[in-house]
Amino acid sequence: MSRPGEAREPPGALSVPGAGLPLEEEVDIRLRADASSRRPVLVCFTTALFWLLLGSIAGDVSSLKLHLPDLLVRQGWLTFGRQRTVHLNAMIYGWASLAMLGVSLWIVPRLVHNTLRWPRLATAGVVVWNVGVAIGIALILAGINDGIEWLEMHRYLADPLLVVGGGMVGVTLLVTLLSRKVDHLYVSVWYMFGAFVWFPVIYVIGNWPTFHGVESGAVNWFYAHNALGLWLTAVGLGAIYYFIPKVLGRPIYSYQLSLLGFWGLAFFYSLNGMHHLVGGPIPTWMITTSIVASVLMIIPVLAVAVNHHMTMIGRFSALRYSPTLRFVVLGAIAYTAVSLQGMFTALREVNRITHFTQWTIAHSHVGVYAFVTFVLFGSMYYIMPRMVRREWPSERLIRWHFWLVLSGIAIYVIALTVVGVWQGLALIDPQVPFQRTVEIQRPGLVARSVAGLLLTAGHVVFVWHYWRMVRGPAAARELPPFYGVRPIVYTEPGGKP
Amino acid sequence: MLPSSLAVLVTGLFLGAIALGAFIWAWRRGQFDHLEEQAHVIFDERDYRLERPWETEAEREERRRLYGEPVPPEPGEWGGAR
Repeated sequence: MSRPGEAREPPGALSVPGAGLPLEEEVDIRLRADASSRRPVLVCFTTALFWLLLGSIAGDVSSLKLHLPDLLVRQGWLTFGRQRTVHLNAMIYGWASLAMLGVSLWIVPRLVHNTLRWPRLATAGVVVWNVGVAIGIALILAGINDGIEWLEMHRYLADPLLVVGGGMVGVTLLVTLLSRKVDHLYVSVWYMFGAFVWFPVIYVIGNWPTFHGVESGAVNWFYAHNALGLWLTAVGLGAIYYFIPKVLGRPIYSYQLSLLGFWGLAFFYSLNGMHHLVGGPIPTWMITTSIVASVLMIIPVLAVAVNHHMTMIGRFSALRYSPTLRFVVLGAIAYTAVSLQGMFTALREVNRITHFTQWTIAHSHVGVYAFVTFVLFGSMYYIMPRMVRREWPSERLIRWHFWLVLSGIAIYVIALTVVGVWQGLALIDPQVPFQRTVEIQRPGLVARSVAGLLLTAGHVVFVWHYWRMVRGPAAARELPPFYGVRPIVYTEPGGKP
Repeated sequence: MLPSSLAVLVTGLFLGAIALGAFIWAWRRGQFDHLEEQAHVIFDERDYRLERPWETEAEREERRRLYGEPVPPEPGEWGGAR
């Protein structure tokens, strides 16, 4: 009997819908699914990359201002308060959300063996979403924002367009699901549909106009943390569960664990958000509930971590050959790291040091960048050749992209984590003057700017490569970009080279 | 004005209720049956047989034994979509 994750006899034709079909029929299903989702997916990815660049530049400006405070101070729209806010919203609602919409629109039809229903509605929804983000960011630059973290875009002029646009995309996916040709819903479908159910609920509650002052903090962080866990994380994990086994040609180590991970997220995650307010003027029961919920997340997080690791173990050499695997596997590792870090940080004794420090910034970037963005990069490397019917033109540009963003995020996280701990220890020491706690941060802030510039450079490379692929002539390449990499020769599985 | 603590509690319970309802639906519809087989639904025959340059000879032999002769990637993109 084979161990989980080992190749085994594929299921018989009668036990799994779709299995045992003639290869030509299976390929036909896949090609028709891809063709139906091509336009909305390309609109998603192209506009997402625009916001990635804009958000990157705004992030760089914000970071430089932290240690060069006299930089670009004459114009209001260039001040830190607006640039940092533009960075956050462009990255979350522009880049990450749109790229995730694209990944969902591509994966779901494939997994339900159906064409995307009402693709024009999906495309229109993506356009509406983009208009909402554009209005929101324009108003932020003009100095108009709601003053709620992660929800700064205008509540009445921008946010409704995100709700409508996202709803339009959600409806097309729902109709596609309801007319599916398979009985079983693969775990990625659960994650993605969960995200489309959870996000509108938390987004509306988060934007509800009746909460003010200190009390609004509770609702604010209920939304912000759930946006990370029930929107960004859900689609990210759904993508990981598809792309890792698909590229390896082997099933996930334990499908049972994958479902445990999903249902654990669904039941335990929603009350985590209050751990951002440990020590704040919020009812103690809410803080304690959030800490308990955070610790309970160890169950789904470990389930996911074990699953990903055991699927990959012995096959990490595949990362040399597949840009998709490089990014997705590193993203999966980052998911485990940020989740465990988050649980650790939720504990009161740890939080008293890390709260209000650069540690939190590092933690959030491990989540949104090292996990979510890396998974989205990997997904795009897989999906795009299937959309435009040609290979990525340049191995070199893939390598440049990878190493620039990897080095950038590594410097970013390490520098701010170390500085955050120093800062926190200094803040809780009554002998240390406040001025000193600010000076402690400077090396980390400079490193952060360097890291940010590396990340932006990587994004420019990726966007240029994407543009060449979409607009350029068909590449002369016949094989995937890394296929010609000289292999590391093993004499036996797990043996030395 | 609705206290924010009540709003967080109610919304959290609502999300939990959605999850519980979906879980019950999935249980009744057999979504937790035949899980070993369900892990394979993302693959087609070509996914199993596609030549992968990182695999050792032993792994290729295992794949050949289980799924048949390997097929090379076709021009166009990794995985051979046409």
